[in-house]
Amino acid sequence: MNEPQGTSPGESPDPGRWLDDHGDYLFKYAVFRLRDNTAAEDAVQETFLAALKAYKEFQGRASERTWLVGILKHKVVDHFRRAGREAPLGEESDEGPEHREFFDKPGPWQGHWNTNYAPNEWHATPAELIERGDFWKVFNECLSPLPQRTASAFTLREVDGLKSEEICEILSIKVNNLWVMLHRARLHLRNCLELNWFRAEE
Amino acid sequence: MGLKLYDKLKHSIRYWLLRRLPTCQQTVEKISQSMERSLSLKERINLKLHLGICAWCQWYMEHLHIIRQTARAKADEPPDFVSGSGLSNEARERIHRRLTNQN
Repeated sequence: MNEPQGTSPGESPDPGRWLDDHGDYLFKYAVFRLRDNTAAEDAVQETFLAALKAYKEFQGRASERTWLVGILKHKVVDHFRRAGREAPLGEESDEGPEHREFFDKPGPWQGHWNTNYAPNEWHATPAELIERGDFWKVFNECLSPLPQRTASAFTLREVDGLKSEEICEILSIKVNNLWVMLHRARLHLRNCLELNWFRAEE
Repeated sequence: MGLKLYDKLKHSIRYWLLRRLPTCQQTVEKISQSMERSLSLKERINLKLHLGICAWCQWYMEHLHIIRQTARAKADEPPDFVSGSGLSNEARERIHRRLTNQN
Protein backbone atom coordinates (compact mmCIF):
# COMPACT_ATOMS: atom_id res chain seq x y z
CA MET A 1 0.00 0.00 0.00
CA ASN A 2 1.43 3.29 -1.02
CA GLU A 3 1.03 6.14 1.44
CA PRO A 4 0.24 9.45 -0.24
CA GLN A 5 3.37 11.50 -0.35
CA GLY A 6 3.05 14.24 2.25
CA THR A 7 5.10 17.35 2.05
CA SER A 8 7.49 17.86 4.90
CA PRO A 9 6.89 20.88 7.10
CA GLY A 10 8.67 24.01 6.00
CA GLU A 11 8.64 23.13 2.32
CA SER A 12 5.07 24.05 1.59
CA PRO A 13 3.51 27.30 2.67
CA ASP A 14 0.88 27.25 5.38
CA PRO A 15 -1.55 30.12 4.73
CA GLY A 16 -3.31 29.59 8.04
CA ARG A 17 -0.13 30.05 10.01
CA TRP A 18 0.92 33.00 7.84
CA LEU A 19 -2.33 34.69 8.62
CA ASP A 20 -1.88 34.05 12.36
CA ASP A 21 1.75 35.11 12.43
CA HIS A 22 1.72 38.11 10.13
CA GLY A 23 -1.87 39.05 9.31
CA ASP A 24 -2.29 41.69 12.00
CA TYR A 25 1.13 43.20 11.46
CA LEU A 26 0.64 43.49 7.72
CA PHE A 27 -2.81 44.94 8.20
CA LYS A 28 -1.54 47.63 10.57
CA TYR A 29 1.31 48.42 8.22
CA ALA A 30 -1.12 48.81 5.33
CA VAL A 31 -3.91 50.67 7.10
CA PHE A 32 -1.48 53.26 8.43
CA ARG A 33 -0.39 54.03 4.88
CA LEU A 34 -3.66 53.61 2.99
CA ARG A 35 -5.89 55.15 5.69
CA ASP A 36 -8.72 52.84 4.63
CA ASN A 37 -9.67 49.47 6.19
CA THR A 38 -11.05 47.82 3.07
CA ALA A 39 -8.09 48.86 0.93
CA ALA A 40 -5.73 47.58 3.63
CA GLU A 41 -7.52 44.20 3.82
CA ASP A 42 -7.29 43.89 0.05
CA ALA A 43 -3.59 44.72 0.11
CA VAL A 44 -2.97 42.04 2.76
CA GLN A 45 -4.90 39.46 0.74
CA GLU A 46 -3.03 40.34 -2.46
CA THR A 47 0.25 40.10 -0.57
CA PHE A 48 -0.49 36.57 0.66
CA LEU A 49 -1.68 35.49 -2.79
CA ALA A 50 1.48 36.83 -4.41
CA ALA A 51 3.53 35.18 -1.66
CA LEU A 52 1.90 31.79 -2.35
CA LYS A 53 2.77 32.06 -6.02
CA ALA A 54 6.34 33.13 -5.37
CA TYR A 55 6.98 30.80 -2.45
CA LYS A 56 9.59 28.71 -4.25
CA GLU A 57 11.70 31.80 -4.90
CA PHE A 58 11.53 32.83 -1.29
CA GLN A 59 12.57 29.73 0.63
CA GLY A 60 14.89 30.79 3.37
CA ARG A 61 16.28 33.89 1.70
CA ALA A 62 15.16 36.42 4.27
CA SER A 63 12.91 36.33 7.28
CA GLU A 64 9.34 35.52 6.33
CA ARG A 65 8.15 38.83 7.80
CA THR A 66 10.67 40.91 5.85
CA TRP A 67 9.77 39.09 2.68
CA LEU A 68 6.04 39.63 3.15
CA VAL A 69 6.50 43.32 4.02
CA GLY A 70 8.54 43.70 0.84
CA ILE A 71 5.62 42.39 -1.20
CA LEU A 72 3.11 44.49 0.74
CA LYS A 73 5.07 47.68 -0.04
CA HIS A 74 4.50 47.03 -3.72
CA LYS A 75 0.79 46.39 -3.16
CA VAL A 76 0.46 49.68 -1.28
CA VAL A 77 2.16 51.55 -4.11
CA ASP A 78 -0.10 49.77 -6.64
CA HIS A 79 -3.11 51.02 -4.73
CA PHE A 80 -1.85 54.63 -4.81
CA ARG A 81 -1.06 54.31 -8.48
CA ARG A 82 -4.60 53.12 -9.27
CA ALA A 83 -6.09 55.90 -7.16
CA GLY A 84 -3.85 58.44 -8.92
CA ARG A 85 -5.03 57.28 -12.34
CA GLU A 86 -8.68 57.22 -11.37
CA ALA A 87 -8.72 60.75 -9.97
CA PRO A 88 -6.23 62.88 -11.91
CA LEU A 89 -5.39 66.10 -10.18
CA GLY A 90 -7.61 68.90 -11.51
CA GLU A 91 -7.13 72.63 -11.34
CA GLU A 92 -9.39 72.91 -8.35
CA SER A 93 -7.55 70.24 -6.42
CA ASP A 94 -6.96 70.73 -2.71
CA GLU A 95 -3.38 70.37 -1.55
CA GLY A 96 -4.11 71.07 2.09
CA PRO A 97 -4.48 74.01 4.48
CA GLU A 98 -2.20 76.97 3.83
CA HIS A 99 -2.19 78.05 7.48
CA ARG A 100 -1.86 81.75 6.69
CA GLU A 101 -2.82 82.43 10.30
CA PHE A 102 0.63 81.15 11.34
CA PHE A 103 2.11 84.38 9.96
CA ASP A 104 1.49 88.06 10.61
CA LYS A 105 -1.10 89.97 8.63
CA PRO A 106 -0.25 93.12 6.67
CA GLY A 107 1.81 95.47 8.82
CA PRO A 108 5.49 95.99 9.54
CA TRP A 109 6.04 92.28 10.22
CA GLN A 110 3.83 90.87 7.52
CA GLY A 111 4.88 87.34 6.63
CA HIS A 112 6.90 86.76 9.79
CA TRP A 113 5.86 84.27 12.46
CA ASN A 114 2.78 85.12 14.45
CA THR A 115 4.01 84.59 18.02
CA ASN A 116 1.02 82.36 18.80
CA TYR A 117 2.14 79.84 16.19
CA ALA A 118 5.92 80.29 16.12
CA PRO A 119 7.95 77.14 16.78
CA ASN A 120 9.26 76.42 20.28
CA GLU A 121 12.42 74.61 21.20
CA TRP A 122 11.75 70.85 21.53
CA HIS A 123 14.48 69.92 24.03
CA ALA A 124 14.77 66.37 22.78
CA THR A 125 17.14 64.41 20.58
CA PRO A 126 15.79 62.24 17.76
CA ALA A 127 16.93 59.15 19.70
CA GLU A 128 14.77 60.17 22.68
CA LEU A 129 11.82 60.77 20.42
CA ILE A 130 12.19 57.37 18.78
CA GLU A 131 11.94 55.78 22.23
CA ARG A 132 8.92 57.83 23.19
CA GLY A 133 5.60 56.09 22.65
CA ASP A 134 2.57 57.34 20.79
CA PHE A 135 4.52 58.85 17.91
CA TRP A 136 2.42 57.11 15.25
CA LYS A 137 -0.81 57.78 17.08
CA VAL A 138 -0.22 61.53 17.18
CA PHE A 139 1.30 61.51 13.69
CA ASN A 140 -1.77 59.76 12.33
CA GLU A 141 -4.23 62.06 14.08
CA CYS A 142 -2.32 65.09 12.85
CA LEU A 143 -2.42 63.84 9.25
CA SER A 144 -6.13 63.08 9.30
CA PRO A 145 -7.43 66.59 8.47
CA LEU A 146 -5.21 66.74 5.36
CA PRO A 147 -6.54 65.72 1.92
CA GLN A 148 -5.94 62.01 1.24
CA ARG A 149 -3.43 62.61 -1.54
CA THR A 150 -1.37 65.08 0.48
CA ALA A 151 -1.26 62.64 3.41
CA SER A 152 -0.20 59.82 1.05
CA ALA A 153 2.53 61.92 -0.57
CA PHE A 154 3.83 62.96 2.83
CA THR A 155 3.88 59.38 4.17
CA LEU A 156 5.61 58.01 1.06
CA ARG A 157 8.25 60.72 1.35
CA GLU A 158 8.91 61.09 5.06
CA VAL A 159 8.14 57.58 6.33
CA ASP A 160 9.04 55.32 3.41
CA GLY A 161 11.75 57.59 1.99
CA LEU A 162 10.72 57.38 -1.66
CA LYS A 163 12.26 59.94 -4.02
CA SER A 164 10.25 62.94 -5.27
CA GLU A 165 10.22 61.61 -8.85
CA GLU A 166 8.94 58.20 -7.77
CA ILE A 167 6.10 59.76 -5.79
CA CYS A 168 5.12 62.01 -8.71
CA GLU A 169 4.96 58.97 -10.98
CA ILE A 170 2.94 56.91 -8.48
CA LEU A 171 0.42 59.66 -7.72
CA SER A 172 0.35 61.08 -11.28
CA ILE A 173 1.24 64.60 -10.14
CA LYS A 174 3.75 67.24 -11.18
CA VAL A 175 6.77 67.91 -9.04
CA ASN A 176 5.71 71.50 -8.23
CA ASN A 177 2.43 70.13 -6.97
CA LEU A 178 4.24 67.62 -4.82
CA TRP A 179 6.40 70.35 -3.27
CA VAL A 180 3.34 72.40 -2.36
CA MET A 181 1.71 69.33 -0.80
CA LEU A 182 4.81 68.40 1.19
CA HIS A 183 5.31 71.96 2.38
CA ARG A 184 1.71 72.28 3.59
CA ALA A 185 1.82 68.87 5.24
CA ARG A 186 5.06 69.77 7.06
CA LEU A 187 3.74 73.15 8.20
CA HIS A 188 0.61 71.50 9.54
CA LEU A 189 2.20 68.42 11.07
CA ARG A 190 5.07 70.22 12.81
CA ASN A 191 2.65 72.52 14.57
CA CYS A 192 0.28 69.68 15.43
CA LEU A 193 3.07 67.47 16.81
CA GLU A 194 4.36 70.34 18.91
CA LEU A 195 0.92 70.97 20.40
CA ASN A 196 -0.06 67.36 20.96
CA TRP A 197 3.17 65.55 21.56
CA PHE A 198 5.50 68.04 23.24
CA ARG A 199 3.17 70.23 25.21
CA ALA A 200 1.21 67.18 26.32
CA GLU A 201 4.30 65.79 28.07
CA GLU A 202 5.31 68.96 29.86
CA MET B 1 26.93 102.96 27.86
CA GLY B 2 29.17 101.58 25.10
CA LEU B 3 27.64 98.14 25.49
CA LYS B 4 24.12 99.55 25.22
CA LEU B 5 25.00 101.29 22.00
CA TYR B 6 26.49 98.08 20.65
CA ASP B 7 23.33 96.14 21.52
CA LYS B 8 21.18 98.78 19.89
CA LEU B 9 23.28 98.64 16.76
CA LYS B 10 23.05 94.83 16.70
CA HIS B 11 19.27 95.04 17.00
CA SER B 12 18.99 97.62 14.27
CA ILE B 13 21.08 95.53 11.89
CA ARG B 14 19.06 92.43 12.71
CA TYR B 15 15.77 94.20 12.08
CA TRP B 16 17.09 95.86 8.98
CA LEU B 17 18.14 92.45 7.62
CA LEU B 18 14.89 90.73 8.61
CA ARG B 19 12.88 93.38 6.74
CA ARG B 20 14.93 92.94 3.59
CA LEU B 21 15.36 89.18 3.50
CA PRO B 22 12.58 86.83 2.42
CA THR B 23 9.94 86.61 5.17
CA CYS B 24 9.49 83.65 7.51
CA GLN B 25 6.50 82.54 5.44
CA GLN B 26 8.69 82.44 2.31
CA THR B 27 11.59 80.93 4.23
CA VAL B 28 9.65 77.93 5.60
CA GLU B 29 8.64 77.08 2.03
CA LYS B 30 12.32 77.19 1.00
CA ILE B 31 13.24 75.04 4.00
CA SER B 32 10.76 72.44 2.81
CA GLN B 33 12.14 72.60 -0.75
CA SER B 34 15.68 72.23 0.54
CA MET B 35 14.60 68.73 1.60
CA GLU B 36 13.56 67.97 -2.01
CA ARG B 37 16.10 69.66 -4.29
CA SER B 38 19.36 71.58 -4.09
CA LEU B 39 18.75 75.29 -3.69
CA SER B 40 20.40 77.89 -5.95
CA LEU B 41 23.29 79.92 -4.55
CA LYS B 42 21.06 82.96 -4.01
CA GLU B 43 18.46 80.86 -2.24
CA ARG B 44 21.12 79.31 -0.03
CA ILE B 45 22.59 82.68 0.94
CA ASN B 46 19.18 84.15 1.78
CA LEU B 47 18.30 81.06 3.81
CA LYS B 48 21.60 81.11 5.72
CA LEU B 49 21.23 84.82 6.53
CA HIS B 50 17.63 84.41 7.61
CA LEU B 51 18.46 81.42 9.82
CA GLY B 52 21.33 83.39 11.33
CA ILE B 53 18.94 85.93 12.81
CA CYS B 54 15.70 83.95 13.26
CA ALA B 55 15.54 81.27 15.95
CA TRP B 56 11.97 80.36 15.00
CA CYS B 57 12.91 79.35 11.48
CA GLN B 58 16.01 77.59 12.84
CA TRP B 59 13.80 75.48 15.08
CA TYR B 60 11.36 74.93 12.25
CA MET B 61 14.08 73.45 10.05
CA GLU B 62 15.47 71.36 12.90
CA HIS B 63 11.99 69.99 13.66
CA LEU B 64 11.34 68.96 10.06
CA HIS B 65 14.54 66.95 10.10
CA ILE B 66 13.70 65.42 13.49
CA ILE B 67 10.28 64.37 12.19
CA ARG B 68 11.85 62.79 9.09
CA GLN B 69 14.49 60.93 11.12
CA THR B 70 11.99 59.66 13.68
CA ALA B 71 9.44 58.58 11.07
CA ARG B 72 12.00 56.72 8.97
CA ALA B 73 13.53 55.04 12.00
CA LYS B 74 10.10 53.76 13.00
CA ALA B 75 8.87 52.94 9.47
CA ASP B 76 8.79 49.19 10.05
CA GLU B 77 7.42 49.29 13.59
CA PRO B 78 3.78 48.35 13.70
CA PRO B 79 1.91 51.55 14.50
CA ASP B 80 0.71 51.05 18.08
CA PHE B 81 -2.46 53.08 17.62
CA VAL B 82 -4.18 50.29 15.71
CA SER B 83 -3.03 47.49 18.02
CA GLY B 84 -6.60 46.80 19.11
CA SER B 85 -7.79 46.74 15.54
CA GLY B 86 -5.84 44.15 13.61
CA LEU B 87 -7.62 42.19 10.91
CA SER B 88 -11.30 41.73 11.68
CA ASN B 89 -12.49 38.12 12.05
CA GLU B 90 -14.58 38.53 8.96
CA ALA B 91 -11.61 39.71 6.86
CA ARG B 92 -9.38 37.03 8.35
CA GLU B 93 -11.81 34.27 7.37
CA ARG B 94 -12.34 35.71 3.92
CA ILE B 95 -8.60 35.90 3.25
CA HIS B 96 -8.10 32.39 4.65
CA ARG B 97 -10.78 30.98 2.35
CA ARG B 98 -9.25 32.75 -0.61
CA LEU B 99 -5.77 31.46 0.20
CA THR B 100 -6.78 27.84 0.75
CA ASN B 101 -8.84 27.77 -2.45
CA GLN B 102 -5.70 28.71 -4.31
CA ASN B 103 -3.88 25.59 -3.17
